[in-house]
Amino acid sequence: MEQTRKDARGIEHRQGVNVCTFYLNGMQASVNASPLARVVDMLRDQLHETGTKISCGIGRCGACSIWVNGQLTSSCLLLAYQVEGKEVTTIEGIGTEERCSIVQEAFINEGGFQCGYCTPGMIMATEALLKQTPDPSDEEIRDGLSGNICRCTGYSGIIRAVKAAAARLA
Amino acid sequence: MKQPEYQRRPDAEPKVTGSLKYLTDRFEDHMLIGKVMRSKHPHARIKNIDTSAAEAIPGVYAVLTHKDVPGLNRFGIVMPDQPVFCEDRVRYTGDAVAAAAAESAEAAEKALAAVVVEYEPLPVLDSVEKALSPGAEQLHEMGNILHEAFYTRGDLQQGFADCTCIVEETYQLPRQMHGYMETEGGVVVPGQDGGISVYMATQHGFKDRFQLSRILDTPEEKIRIISSPIGGSFGGKDELNLQPYGALLALKTGRPVQVHNTRKESVRAGLKRHPMAITMRTGADESGRVLAHETTIYADTGAYATLGPAILEFAVEHASGLYPIPNIKTTGVSVFTNNGVAGEFRGFGGNQVTFALEGQMDRLAEKLGMEGGQLRFINMRKPSDAGPLGQEIAPTDGGKMVLDDVAAWQQLPLSNTGEPPWLKNGRGGAVSMHGGGLGYGRLDPSGGRLALTKEGKLEAAFGFEECGQGIVAVIETVMKEAFSCNDEDIEITIGDTSKVPVSGSTTASRGTGMIWTAVENMKALFSRQLLTEASRVTGTAAADLYLGAGGIHKSGTESSLFLSYKALAEYVQAGDIETHTSFDFPVTPDEIDSGHYLYSFGGVSAEVEVNLLTGAVRVLDLKQSVSAGPVVYPQGYRGQIEGGGIMALGYTLMEDAVMEEGRYQTENFDTYLMPGVKDLPDNVTVKPREEVMEGDTYGPRGVGEIGTIAVAPAIAEAIYQAIGARPKKLPVSREWILHQIQQRGLLPWNKPEKMLGG
Ligand code: FES
Ligand code: FES
Repeated sequence: MEQTRKDARGIEHRQGVNVCTFYLNGMQASVNASPLARVVDMLRDQLHETGTKISCGIGRCGACSIWVNGQLTSSCLLLAYQVEGKEVTTIEGIGTEERCSIVQEAFINEGGFQCGYCTPGMIMATEALLKQTPDPSDEEIRDGLSGNICRCTGYSGIIRAVKAAAARLA
Repeated sequence: MKQPEYQRRPDAEPKVTGSLKYLTDRFEDHMLIGKVMRSKHPHARIKNIDTSAAEAIPGVYAVLTHKDVPGLNRFGIVMPDQPVFCEDRVRYTGDAVAAAAAESAEAAEKALAAVVVEYEPLPVLDSVEKALSPGAEQLHEMGNILHEAFYTRGDLQQGFADCTCIVEETYQLPRQMHGYMETEGGVVVPGQDGGISVYMATQHGFKDRFQLSRILDTPEEKIRIISSPIGGSFGGKDELNLQPYGALLALKTGRPVQVHNTRKESVRAGLKRHPMAITMRTGADESGRVLAHETTIYADTGAYATLGPAILEFAVEHASGLYPIPNIKTTGVSVFTNNGVAGEFRGFGGNQVTFALEGQMDRLAEKLGMEGGQLRFINMRKPSDAGPLGQEIAPTDGGKMVLDDVAAWQQLPLSNTGEPPWLKNGRGGAVSMHGGGLGYGRLDPSGGRLALTKEGKLEAAFGFEECGQGIVAVIETVMKEAFSCNDEDIEITIGDTSKVPVSGSTTASRGTGMIWTAVENMKALFSRQLLTEASRVTGTAAADLYLGAGGIHKSGTESSLFLSYKALAEYVQAGDIETHTSFDFPVTPDEIDSGHYLYSFGGVSAEVEVNLLTGAVRVLDLKQSVSAGPVVYPQGYRGQIEGGGIMALGYTLMEDAVMEEGRYQTENFDTYLMPGVKDLPDNVTVKPREEVMEGDTYGPRGVGEIGTIAVAPAIAEAIYQAIGARPKKLPVSREWILHQIQQRGLLPWNKPEKMLGG
């Protein structure tokens, strides 16, 4: 039997149905979501974790990049049921304003962002790249970021940032 | 102005950690989702609109059409000609016909799918030629010509008669998409008093407020526009987009309404750069002095005006660029069609004409047997020369400075070694001149406010928007320079019409210069106010006090803090220490409409590698020299030129939002290709030329646009140097390159004569 209730924000929750449970930045999260809801919408619209952005919605721009079990992926191409029981890491799990990660620091120092809308995705991609390839060649940096579009910086500042971060992590 | 390269932008940490709330990230209690229904046809009459089925759908709170617009059912910055909702006719597939607000996006979409619109399709005018052909359907009461602009001087006929060498070409420029990563949208919150707060990106909050007031028939004071931060704009969010729909739905339902375009919706409804066809005829005498220059510009402005007239005038003004040619005739026509609306976009018509003009210079130089640089030096403007419309301008040697750099860069050796044989390299250079501000005869006010807040911060308030360019870093840098204070002493107030003074639009490369000027105007008085109050409070003579980090310092003592701003704030009332300034963007004293006074200059050198097998062009090296006065914030300056350069690389080699029969053939980034990291040249260099003429008091010029202007002609010339064919149509396609390669027999096994011989 379906039970519905409205929360303080007026959002309707149907209890017992379609609860998607996963680990978001180390914390358990349960969301009422249709199994076919996109993960990006679940994060942004339901959990209000808006660090993950939406831009193309078709897997072309990387603005929505997250990690699922440590694997870089586009959350606009992922459905809720695909993260059931998994570890999801978003930009909110990387660093905080008070404690930026080395990669985030490098983006700040090297002009790796302007409008900042591609930046969470870029940072997720960079962190993933440097974890896998701590001392990347120019070619490997370009491969690692080739799924992410930035319209503002022209990428020069981003490349400087990735190199600076790699040097500091070395 | 010396600032460490690594000074952090005030918005740095929130941006890199994802904690920054963009306006499309906002969430309000009881928020509904709004969706807009766009026309099914590029051109049709509307016979009937029936919303009854839509209204009956569960979860739907409002379905609106033209009948629900209380005020003027039109918008448009210059002339309001675009319907908020179409009444009886649609003119492009982005035209709005209805909008719905519902509990979910799905319900809103379902509602719109249930709106029944009876259309009677009309002939589609999908090109300038069709729109201008005799007997063509008239798209507007004024006809199919939005605007014509002319400029002439000298005696063109005589000029050409004196030439020994004349070149003529027609250049085709594409429909570039802004491609800001954040699509249009935000939230509109209705207030108790019938007013609204509009949280949506724009490049000029007060202009949105004015336009919305007209549409909603609500006084401007009841409308608050919160418009920063913005996830990229490049001109594309200057005009109204979703604001009217969000506002009408919020007022109708009494609930906050979120509207946020999907990329597909954004492509369909949003502005693009004007496609233009530009014919130029240019002649010189045998010494290389250009004597005559004739230009005809046809711009496809799409269905509605927005800033189309101003963009055309800008293109006409810049048709002769940095060369004071004695005999000129320039004609521009901006034509309504059933294509997507073209409008404001970084460079504002300058990109198109500069591609043509610099193309002419290279063609002419070759015919004269000269280097392109040499021809440009012969014709380069002198510091005291008039502007391109013959108007007085602020003296500048910027053109010569950037050309010096480009000429030197042209001498660099090519980076390839001749191996493998199917890769051919070439280098090209080009220069440009770009007017800042809106131009003579247009309202172009600016201003700012400084105040000591009750929390003890030095508040700098400007009506500018942060769209990524780093205006907040400019404000911080200028403030620190003026008051020797710390980052923490400063509070920046922008992007909220309820809090900011009139500063004018965040467009036309004007923000940085206007902030610098405003603080210059206010700093003496504001310092005096602070020191006088500090003197009153402490009983120390004002002459012994000075401003420094954290507050007031006392001379003769160790430079430790004497009275902090926080302490000072406790002794004064809000508003006690406050200074305003308002002024106009500097314009030419000559009464020449749209003529600019302050210009910036850009010089570009590009090396390309052309793959003869695939037709692929890779830019290996992109160097830009920029003359735009002193640098305020080095990281931002560099970022504008680097980013602008890559955006222009896309314009040159890949970007075109193709339309067929009035319909976009692209709807997202899978078919509209913008440069990715792999397209980034191996080397990108930015060289600021900060020197200004003696006595120049105008400070920094702003570099938002200049880095996008001369890139295309430089790359085109580099392609010519590599394969001997001159591009005249952008983007330069691989097919075109392969065709040229084949025609010229550049591949050893594919000589044309062999092909002919079978
Ligand atoms: S929004 Fe997911 S890749 Fe673009
Ligand atoms: S910083 Fe704006 S898109 Fe990358």
